[in-house]
Amino acid sequence: MSDEPLIPNGLSTELGARSIRFEVGEDIYPLDVIQGAAYLFVDRAYLFLDRPRDGRVTVVLKTRGPTDPEALEALAGEFANELLNQALRKNIGESNARIREFVMARAFFAADGPSTIDRLLAQLDEEELAEAPLDIAVPWQEPRNG
Amino acid sequence: MLTTAITVDPRAYDRERVGFFRYGRVADKVLITNEASEHLILTEPQFQAFYRGKINEGDPLYPELQRRGFVREGVDLDGLAGRIRRKKAFLKHAPHLHVFIVTLRCNQACKYCHASRADMDAVDTDMSVENAKKAVDFIFSTPAPVLNIEFQGGEPTANFPVIQFVVDYAREKNRYEERELIFSMVTNMTLMTEERMNWLIDRGVMVCTSLDGPADVHDQNRPFTGSKTAVFDHVVSWMDRFNAAYVARGLDPDFFHVDALMTTTRASLTRGRDIVDLYLSRGLRSIHLRPLNPFGFAVNTWKQIGYTMEEFLQFYRDTAAYILEKNRGGTFLQERMASVFLTRMLTPDDPNYTDCRSPVGSGMATLAYNYDGGIYTCDEGRMAAHMGNETFRLGHVAQSTWDEVRAHPTIRALAVASINDALPACVGCAYKPSCGIQPLHNYMFDGDLFGQRPRSRKCQEFHGVQTWLYERLAADADGSDERIFRRWTIQRSRPGTVPYPPVGAEASP
Repeated sequence: MSDEPLIPNGLSTELGARSIRFEVGEDIYPLDVIQGAAYLFVDRAYLFLDRPRDGRVTVVLKTRGPTDPEALEALAGEFANELLNQALRKNIGESNARIREFVMARAFFAADGPSTIDRLLAQLDEEELAEAPLDIAVPWQEPRNG
Repeated sequence: MLTTAITVDPRAYDRERVGFFRYGRVADKVLITNEASEHLILTEPQFQAFYRGKINEGDPLYPELQRRGFVREGVDLDGLAGRIRRKKAFLKHAPHLHVFIVTLRCNQACKYCHASRADMDAVDTDMSVENAKKAVDFIFSTPAPVLNIEFQGGEPTANFPVIQFVVDYAREKNRYEERELIFSMVTNMTLMTEERMNWLIDRGVMVCTSLDGPADVHDQNRPFTGSKTAVFDHVVSWMDRFNAAYVARGLDPDFFHVDALMTTTRASLTRGRDIVDLYLSRGLRSIHLRPLNPFGFAVNTWKQIGYTMEEFLQFYRDTAAYILEKNRGGTFLQERMASVFLTRMLTPDDPNYTDCRSPVGSGMATLAYNYDGGIYTCDEGRMAAHMGNETFRLGHVAQSTWDEVRAHPTIRALAVASINDALPACVGCAYKPSCGIQPLHNYMFDGDLFGQRPRSRKCQEFHGVQTWLYERLAADADGSDERIFRRWTIQRSRPGTVPYPPVGAEASP
């Protein structure tokens, strides 16, 4: 194994003959981000995750077939890049969670009914009627107060 | 590969201004999508500015981002909810596609057969009139407003009297039920007669046949059992006779013609243009470039007829590009899988295609009735039973009620395994709103309903087709591809795909 880190910025990487070992800080990349990135490589590599100590996660990608140092280095770069993408996706998901829940609830659990505009107009009509003490706006067919 | 191939800075995301989106690389551009199936294709600098919240109101892109719900300011949440509700309107309905396996007998021995065929003397694999009657009664006990009864086999015409019984009995029941009742049949045409043809046309049973390609390809894939007699001529001559009979009855050939299904084998990979030309010459308006599934007989013949998914996708792209070229020349021909994705990408609706949906259609949009009266989630579930695995059996037409079948644990498991909002890889995939899952394919391939997306042939196929479509749209400077693509989204009632009633329409009691 080489001791030379391939990718700086919080990731330490070691290249083996058919494997790459990353050590990732969970303060920078939460576990679900690491797992999300690792999952996307299961077609090309066997994945081994471990937590050697608190706050640190190791990921070993072992290629499914023979490889060469250049391909391995490219794979390491791709994994590091994917960690960033998964982190961005996590940010987007968390920031919009409440809005998405609200929209989904509206989509699937709200009864099919009048549109927002129709509801507002109906509400205005009700308010206007409520403010008319002589019930002038009430159609004559309907019984009047008093 | 499902990795993203875009360099981003997660810290730069502007959570105050930018709404929810998924993203992915499409050629040299970046696709963004959201839950309402809205999409935009951005240049890389536009994308980098977008998620950093640096596209401001004065920017020509801003109104488009706002209208499609990608920015928070002024977002119409009710509008977004309405669009999602319309996209998922199929969730309100019970199964519409009811597949009758009227027999396992078949006179062909196709190299990729999934249907667990039996020899022509195995009459014990014919559905009885008694089971057929109970199956029809069961179907009418479901609340679906649209019922499509599809006859399959084996070769279904080998048990033609039961087909006749089902059609007449269902029509009689429907005099009181008033559902939208559709009949279709998938046949190899080799047992067709003039009398049967006229009966099918008179009763409105739409016919779909297998047509893999020119004679050499078709006959190589689909030989008669124990005979070297050519099959291809039977197929095309009966297609022509049906089509002429529709015209003679004054029916619009755009809607009334024999449809066809093709299965891609290794022999097809270099013959895409010939296959398309053949389909056009037979008056077909739709072609489905279907890859081979490594199940059934294909497991044994894979070395002879199989290929990698990369090889299939190369065939798909070349052939679909040729189909586009033909359309540009004024001829209409739609590629079926593309039309499913395009309907989701370009229109407010969903085609409710049962084999590529989230959640999947198995058990929820389709049910299959085996010759012995067993009820299964779909035809593949029935096939698993013939391989000794009864996981997908939901009951029996003589004993089970609709309430028992719809609440079956297997259906719930299939739903959980196919809601792509909650599956790894799908959850962050830009194609998630237009894609679907096939848990049965995962099960047959990996022995696991969930499977692993990056290793799934179905995922590779769906991803590859959608990538091609988005790449065409990204490079479509004059909008000519999109105009053709929009024509491909026109809905027609065909086996496996039935338009559902508009939002708000309630099921019949």
